[in-house]
Amino acid sequence: MANEKKFYLTKEGLERLKKEYKELKKFRLAKTKGEVPRLWHSEDLNPEYLSFQEDLNFLESRIQELEYVLKNAELIKNPLKNRQNIVDLGATVTLEEPDGHINEFMVVGTLEANPSEGKISSDSPVGKTLLGHRVGEEVIITSPIKVVYKIKKIRYNLS
Amino acid sequence: MKESLNFLIETHKLKKMPRTGWVLRGVENPETIGEHIFRVAFLSWLLADKKKLNTKEAIKIALSHDLCEVYAGDVTPFFYYLNLPKDQEKKKKLLMKWVRLSRKEKEKRGKKKLEMEKKAFLRLLKPLDQKTKQELFSAWFNYEKGVTYTGKFVKQLDKIETLIQAIEYFGPGKTPAMGWWEETEELIEDPLLLDFLKVIQKRFYGKKIAKIKDQKELESVLDFILEIGKLKRLPRLYWNLRGVKNPESVAEHIFTLLLMAWVFGKEKKNLHMNKLLKMAICHELSAVYTGDTTPYDRILPADNQQREEVLKKMLRLSKKEKKWIFFADYREEKKAIEKLTKKLRPSLKKEILLLWREYRTKSSPEGYFLAQLNALAVLLQGILYEKEDKKFFVSPIWEWTFEFCDDPVAVELMEEIKKKFY
Repeated sequence: MANEKKFYLTKEGLERLKKEYKELKKFRLAKTKGEVPRLWHSEDLNPEYLSFQEDLNFLESRIQELEYVLKNAELIKNPLKNRQNIVDLGATVTLEEPDGHINEFMVVGTLEANPSEGKISSDSPVGKTLLGHRVGEEVIITSPIKVVYKIKKIRYNLS
Repeated sequence: MKESLNFLIETHKLKKMPRTGWVLRGVENPETIGEHIFRVAFLSWLLADKKKLNTKEAIKIALSHDLCEVYAGDVTPFFYYLNLPKDQEKKKKLLMKWVRLSRKEKEKRGKKKLEMEKKAFLRLLKPLDQKTKQELFSAWFNYEKGVTYTGKFVKQLDKIETLIQAIEYFGPGKTPAMGWWEETEELIEDPLLLDFLKVIQKRFYGKKIAKIKDQKELESVLDFILEIGKLKRLPRLYWNLRGVKNPESVAEHIFTLLLMAWVFGKEKKNLHMNKLLKMAICHELSAVYTGDTTPYDRILPADNQQREEVLKKMLRLSKKEKKWIFFADYREEKKAIEKLTKKLRPSLKKEILLLWREYRTKSSPEGYFLAQLNALAVLLQGILYEKEDKKFFVSPIWEWTFEFCDDPVAVELMEEIKKKFY
């Protein structure tokens, strides 16, 4: 369908979701056979599955969600050499303030965004502002109060 | 039951822990973690409902999101504001801004903080039965990692609630609230919440905004959230009348009851958890306008000595007097709830009023059970105050709960409290 939403993912992000999908399906099968391991006691505790353990409907909806995401996943790749000085998905952007302070973000798709690890979504106001800018350009980040940065460096280290 | 009670007692620490961000910036008597959780839970309900997400899941995620701080404390993001410069000007400047770090450093510190909080949360959950432990941990993990869309959504709302609080404390303009704007704009990506941010900008910064879908509704949610913020730092009257120093606020009491509804409501298979949770958040909303009330208010003698004597005991009243007090309170509270919810979407307005009414009149299984849990929440808080201050007597509350509680789960909890403290 032309209108289906695309989910932009790095290779690691895509692998992680594929793995989760595979394991949840395995888990569902085991659950229907009554063979579910007691995950809480497992040394290799994987809490992402805990919430689904008791609730088959929830497990089912997560599996469906993952199916939809994987069907519409688009891999984020390194841009061509002549476009690597422009901020796009997958870029790690180094910003410099007039007083010399440095700040850095990686711009990713919504499913991988986690500002607590320095990864921001391309749909966030900061992500949207950065997209399309080049090294050396000035960007104004926040809307009610202006924060001015200069783009110092753009890197693409995607595998 | 014993394990759940011990867990609940530990979470009372969150009612005494001021949030670090406000302390660092010199806010006097700032909100506690418990109060913050209360408003995030309400905001999560209102906007998850608008977004057609699972409201029960959203409330649970909001409720669990800062519980780890019982043991981890309220650590500032990325441990960024840990070693502030001694120079006052430099310190002030740093506190006006959000974090500036390399991506690698953010990742390293973010993971360290997550590990620390996970360890603290698992320590808090350790005594609980496996099912409760799992449920609480999953909700928290969902908030941290955004496993489901609702998890991601509540995380964004957590930041928005903090931003609103920052603007309430510091005002717009060149104030420390700037730092929270920066943080929020790194995280918010949901279209509805981006619109909500615009509404906040319009309200506080007078910014003209292009017309957005559902603007009026989002404005009414903001109005409502600002009003219920008054329940933070609003001391509970029962404790105030009896001289308890720095007693819990109405918002903190709601936080405790909400947690009790989740943990003990699970034992009641015939109850709707979603309804029970929502009812717990709503049960004292009227205090926004009426202030906190107790059945004693209307009959307290003016004379100090007589007053103290009355407060030492549980009220002895005739059926007629009880009825009169109930209806007088009911009418005032109803008026307050109607005023508070006036601008909300009609279906939401109706739902809140209905939930409050069912609780107040105990006219549904959820209302009946929650009223008993409420009595036990007061009892437990009273016992904890009595332990701190021997001049405080908890016996009238014991009398009340003995009269009041007949639900098997509530009675079992009451017995457990007795065993634990006596």
